[in-house]
Amino acid sequence: MNAIFTAIFILSAAILAFTAPQNFLTVLLNGAKESLTVAVTLFCIYAVWMGIAAVAEKCGITSKAAKLLKPFCSRFFKTQNGEVCGAIAMNLTCNLLGVGASTPYAVKAINGLAKENNSYAQNLLFVINATGIQLIPSTVIALRTQAGSTSSADIFLPCLICSVIATAVAVVLFVSSEKLFAERRK
Amino acid sequence: MAIVIPVIFIAVMAAAIIKKVNVYNAFTEGVKSAVSFTLSLLPCLAAVFMMCGLFEASGLSGLLIKVLSPVFEFLGIPEGLTKLLLIKPFSGSGSLAYLTEIIEDYGADSYTARCACVCYGSSETVFYISAVYFASQKGKKLARPIIIALVSAFIAAIAACALCRVM
Repeated sequence: MNAIFTAIFILSAAILAFTAPQNFLTVLLNGAKESLTVAVTLFCIYAVWMGIAAVAEKCGITSKAAKLLKPFCSRFFKTQNGEVCGAIAMNLTCNLLGVGASTPYAVKAINGLAKENNSYAQNLLFVINATGIQLIPSTVIALRTQAGSTSSADIFLPCLICSVIATAVAVVLFVSSEKLFAERRK
Repeated sequence: MAIVIPVIFIAVMAAAIIKKVNVYNAFTEGVKSAVSFTLSLLPCLAAVFMMCGLFEASGLSGLLIKVLSPVFEFLGIPEGLTKLLLIKPFSGSGSLAYLTEIIEDYGADSYTARCACVCYGSSETVFYISAVYFASQKGKKLARPIIIALVSAFIAAIAACALCRVM
């Protein structure tokens, strides 16, 4: 992230310095403003879902789900930590349902995994999330309906197939690259 | 489908009553952690959005689009989609605005618009996610996972354009 951020920042700033230096500060300020707008939107989503999730946690629903998923978790994510398993399970469920509360759980799982130095599981979880495993692309369908599409939901199947392809390719690439690196280290 | 969400909320609250959990206290505790969580994201969000702003305003993204368009077209990705595919990893709101533009320009049921919708619907904001997920882990090496995520999204985009021809 550091390298990408610095490179894009300096390169863009250098171009702007020649082409439109008066815009430089405005662009940065607008970016900061946009981040605040997005943060407000995100807070609304998180407030709703983390609120109800806290209630579920207090009832023991989350820990029960985590127990059920533990064999799966220890196999694919190589972790025995129940709390982390619960967070991973909630993250994947939220992703599938597209309810937008997946991020807090992912961060919780990733921070938990950091304590066990489990970089493998961290990266795997990131790769799965970064390729999207949404079942219903509700935003896109709504957009198409608005634009007067005759069959706005007909992209459902291609979307699902492509999202499965992306995640499958990512997982396969990641696991095989991990094996390759492990062999090299030996 | 919409009924699922209220049912989940009711089920959780009913379970809480049975287990004699103080629903109000637990709920506000959850919202409290949402406050601190959102605040912890803000620095990353601000930095990423400033970077995206510069990337667009400097014309660097435009230049990249010009260079990559012929390559993408060769792989069966329509010309209008290059910008969308480039912006999506950086910014969700930016790419959504551009998706709306594509739908308006080409028509909701056109091939390009359908491809765009499938690409948008099946991909994620990779850089944004990496910044947020690993916000508290300074100095973690992420180059390989990020490249893998981007390559997979690109392969899925090629598949999307091929699928939209037949489906």
